[in-house]
Amino acid sequence: MNQTAKRYHPAIIVVETVKLVKNSIWFFLFLFVLKASSTSNWVIWGRYLFLIITLWGLVSILLRWFFHRYEIDRDSIVLYEGIFVKEKRTFALYRVHNQTSSTTFVHQWFGLTSLTLETGTSGENASAEFPVITNEEKERIIIHLQQKQDSIEAGDEGVVDQTERRKVHFRSTKKDIVKASFTSLSFLAIFPLLGAIYTNLADYLHIEKTAKNALDYLLIHWWVMIILFVLALGLSAVLGFFKTMWKYGNFVISDDDERIYIEKGVGRFVSFSIPKHRVQAIVVEQSILKRILGLAAIKLISAGGFEDEEKEETSSLYPFMPKQEAYRVLHTILPEYRIEEHMERFPLKVLWLKLLHPYYLTILAIIGLWIFKPEWLWIAAIVFVISILLRILDYWFTSYMRDGNTIQIRKGGITNETFVTHRERIQQITVKHTWLQRRFGVATLQFTNKAKPTHDTELYGVSKEEAGTFYTWYKKKSTS
Amino acid sequence: MYIQIEEPTETISADAVKMWRISNSVGHGIVFLIIGVLIVCTEILNWYGWIGVVLYIIGGITILSAIYSILIEPVFLQKTWRYKIDPQFIQLKHGKWQTQHTLIPMEKVEYVRTKQGPIMRHYQLYKIEIGTTTSSHVIPAIASEQAKRLQAEIAVYAKIQDSQVGGGERA
Repeated sequence: MNQTAKRYHPAIIVVETVKLVKNSIWFFLFLFVLKASSTSNWVIWGRYLFLIITLWGLVSILLRWFFHRYEIDRDSIVLYEGIFVKEKRTFALYRVHNQTSSTTFVHQWFGLTSLTLETGTSGENASAEFPVITNEEKERIIIHLQQKQDSIEAGDEGVVDQTERRKVHFRSTKKDIVKASFTSLSFLAIFPLLGAIYTNLADYLHIEKTAKNALDYLLIHWWVMIILFVLALGLSAVLGFFKTMWKYGNFVISDDDERIYIEKGVGRFVSFSIPKHRVQAIVVEQSILKRILGLAAIKLISAGGFEDEEKEETSSLYPFMPKQEAYRVLHTILPEYRIEEHMERFPLKVLWLKLLHPYYLTILAIIGLWIFKPEWLWIAAIVFVISILLRILDYWFTSYMRDGNTIQIRKGGITNETFVTHRERIQQITVKHTWLQRRFGVATLQFTNKAKPTHDTELYGVSKEEAGTFYTWYKKKSTS
Repeated sequence: MYIQIEEPTETISADAVKMWRISNSVGHGIVFLIIGVLIVCTEILNWYGWIGVVLYIIGGITILSAIYSILIEPVFLQKTWRYKIDPQFIQLKHGKWQTQHTLIPMEKVEYVRTKQGPIMRHYQLYKIEIGTTTSSHVIPAIASEQAKRLQAEIAVYAKIQDSQVGGGERA
């Protein structure tokens, strides 16, 4: 597959320009529309600066298209970057942990897509990004990558056509989307929005007075208010539905022997894939609302994480699946990760120990209020009660389990989180105990998993016997 | 022994106590100097009254911290620090009131380096920094010869493990 370096598809200019416009539109609105009548120095300078930066942005897009190249070798991907300072970045294919491809509207117009390959490292060499490539090119890179990975992992068993063996485990339906849009509470978003619109308009149009009249009218004709309220609620429910549809519509989870594939999105199509053996840990997350509705989100922790917010949810299996369904899917695609539902709480003495710790926030509140607002000192009492409640909740939802080479930790309160990983995936451990903990016969466990950023787990209140066993358990790792 | 485990046995240099005392004295001396200058400034330049009060409080805390970290802490830290390096694991243990045991598998070690500041040089000590994929750990105050040997040893062990694993995870 040797070939010379290629330039990206010219459509990159359009894609990047759209991105530039999207990023600068708020500055534009602020400087030229909202502050249109302003003549203060910083606004005028801001406008010049804005124009210069935008112009440079456009020029650099053209230059980048002209100068940037990529090249795919037998073992590596080479990116040639930089306009003035030339840079050559090489990615070894075997180091790629997972890949994400995302297709925005603009990509779709040109029948193109984008591809990001994540390696398990941090820093600027963490990911290789192809902002715009053709679908065929993407397939070619992925197949090449998979062949490379398979030949390393499976010896020389020969490469089989992976797409044929792919099994679909979950496909979201309309009903799921409705449920999801309800769970994410996005239908409530309309109220702050309405409030913001109202206050903004009030400033401009001086409708305070008329509004007062209108409010009087509404108070008398209360049924009008109810109708308006229901209308607003309905409107926001519909908006919420479309927003959720946009993000989670057409959600498909599938796998083959080697990899897990997640595809989702309407309009902006995102697909993600990770080799099964690169999964570092599993997290099951349940907020209060999800617990009431019996839903759960399962996240795959991997070393090649996602930095930008839009992609954050990509590595999670469908976040609004019924819990049992989610477990079923998880067990079929990753049989080595078993989630044990029933977990034992720590002995009650751990609760007393947790309550014995100093209440720093309360002390701080007392001192702060004493100095600045002595008549509000009662707030400190509320802070104290809340801290006690949080500690009780923390105790109530914390549990720990170790079985074979699996370790499972549950933490919670407002949002419950169950973390499952294997001994081989733990990077290092620390067992520690303070003077006070020794009086109670307990210790703290800490361990780290590879992720981006590093995933640290700390568990307070494990019995000293278990702490010792845990330490020895981890130490036996190489002999077992 | 509070927790039933195989504890690390190697101790760090006895000179560590003197080394820590000097370096902590220097550190606290600098802080006192800064606070002193600021207090003089408050007096001369008539700054707000509460700045002076805050400075005196910080000064008081610094005195307590100085007593602890110059007179008490170095002795206990030196007495309780233990490490052990074998082909499979690096084991670290330290602390009296809060005891901490750390276990790092050799195959996760990314780099090892020795470091030395001017005070450490005077006592011919080195600290060994061990970096893993997720964090870094320090063994403080090891005599020069020993430090060089350990560094080489860890490097060799880590490398052996690396080739066994197949190097799939790193550069």
